[in-house]
Amino acid sequence: MSYEKEMMEKAGRGEIPNDRLEIPLLKYLWDSSPLSFLTSKESHHDFFKKISVLSSFSDNEVRLFTKFLHRREFQPNEIIFKQGDSGYGFYFIYNGSVNIYANHNPQSTEQGDFIIRIEKRQYFGEMGLLEEFNRRSATIVAAEPTVLLGIFKPDLDRMLELYPVLGAKFLRETALIMANRMGQLTREIVTLKKKVKELENQV
Amino acid sequence: MNRNQKIKLYLFLFLFSTAIIFAIMFPRLTLPFGFAYIIYLMARPFTLKLTIGSKKQRIGYFFLMFIGIAFLFFPVFATLYNVDTDFSQLSNQLPEVERILNEKFFAFKVKVFEKYGVRLNMDPVKFIVSKLETQGTIFLSHMPDYLSSLFEWMLLVPMFLYFFFMESQKFSRRFLEAVPNPIFEKSYVLFSQFNTKFGEYIIAKFIEATILGTIVTLGLFLIGFPYPFILGFVAGVTNILPYIGPVIGFVPAFFIALLSKDPNVSMLAMVVVFTIANLIDMILVFPLLVSKIVNLHPIVVVVSIIIGSQLAGIVGMIVIIPFIAFFKLLFREIYKDLSVNI
Repeated sequence: MSYEKEMMEKAGRGEIPNDRLEIPLLKYLWDSSPLSFLTSKESHHDFFKKISVLSSFSDNEVRLFTKFLHRREFQPNEIIFKQGDSGYGFYFIYNGSVNIYANHNPQSTEQGDFIIRIEKRQYFGEMGLLEEFNRRSATIVAAEPTVLLGIFKPDLDRMLELYPVLGAKFLRETALIMANRMGQLTREIVTLKKKVKELENQV
Repeated sequence: MNRNQKIKLYLFLFLFSTAIIFAIMFPRLTLPFGFAYIIYLMARPFTLKLTIGSKKQRIGYFFLMFIGIAFLFFPVFATLYNVDTDFSQLSNQLPEVERILNEKFFAFKVKVFEKYGVRLNMDPVKFIVSKLETQGTIFLSHMPDYLSSLFEWMLLVPMFLYFFFMESQKFSRRFLEAVPNPIFEKSYVLFSQFNTKFGEYIIAKFIEATILGTIVTLGLFLIGFPYPFILGFVAGVTNILPYIGPVIGFVPAFFIALLSKDPNVSMLAMVVVFTIANLIDMILVFPLLVSKIVNLHPIVVVVSIIIGSQLAGIVGMIVIIPFIAFFKLLFREIYKDLSVNI
């Protein structure tokens, strides 16, 4: 339910709105105003509205969701996490971009084989949020000055306790992200198997 | 890690260690701060809704603080009245207890002399009584200090508690922002787990002690045993200490039953009451409330309590358990990381 609708319903039930000036609410209204494109800085609210997997979130839900996030800044080539590290968080790229490496050898300073670069509005690390004993499956390194917005296991627990509907919605979206990744992996495995068969036939 | 990141990490670790040293150096501030923090953690499950959800936070907090203080202190004051009555009766009977103990020890000395021809020259009763008198005098001479500390705590604890209720979210966010990236994820999760475990443990022990104390008081009252309130109170408070607590809680009742000449005072009935209370605690209360929170080996618990008592007395004995549980968690995480990176 959108914030506007919620307020309308409350007014309809005769509940007097709070007369205290709420700075976060004003900030949210300012950020979500149609003229907000005039400001050069993108707010957290605008950022999440543009992320496709969170499109089912209402404006108010996005506002509440951003309260549980941690802003982390990384320098170019700074390691965000290494393959094999314990994982507890899910990150959205707010600014900048990151490189993903696999087959990282902990005894060497090499980062491993480069897989892909992911950029602004993309996300990674969702398994860390859901699995109980997660090990990171790749090494992530900041490719340029990067700002990440992270949500961690204690934040998810708190969200589920305080706003169960929002928490459930977020979990559903995270499950969808994982389902998409699984689908993608399955398709890649099928393609690879086909290629192996073709190579076997050629030999 | 580049040079700047290393400097940031070392600076953070230096400031963190300095804060810990500062905390150890100023216990007059640290102890009430820690006590307020424990109350905050206990109240946290009830305040979570207020921290973000309610628009009338301040009123909500004051209401909660009032209810919490009333809930915590009313039973204590109500019991203290009866405990005080029991205590004054008990202190009136102390000369009588001393006389009985002297008689029993004299009979024992005579028996030893008749059987073995050995004359016992020691006088343990006199020794114990003089020790008690000395300790009592020391306690009374320190009374002004205790009272001033009490007033200090009465001022500081609500002040810190208000800070925790109103500002802790903002403060912890600021603090987390300063944590360097390489240790952020792990330290944040471990800190949150510690907070949750600590709060849950303290509240679970508080409830466990109340249940056990109530059962002992009611049981002793029903069998007509003297001083049921003071003995129930002692049993409840000592039960906070795992394994050792129930034994310590039983000792005063045992001595009262041993020394009493009243035919209505039955040692067997008292033992049955304590056994039932501890069985209920062991079979029902402890598994449901506490064991899931602290998953430690009994020997580790007993050794920890001894270390805790050496470090910080009774408070140390109580709070050491969740700390050890946290360190177990921390070492397990470090060990897991090392085994992956080797």
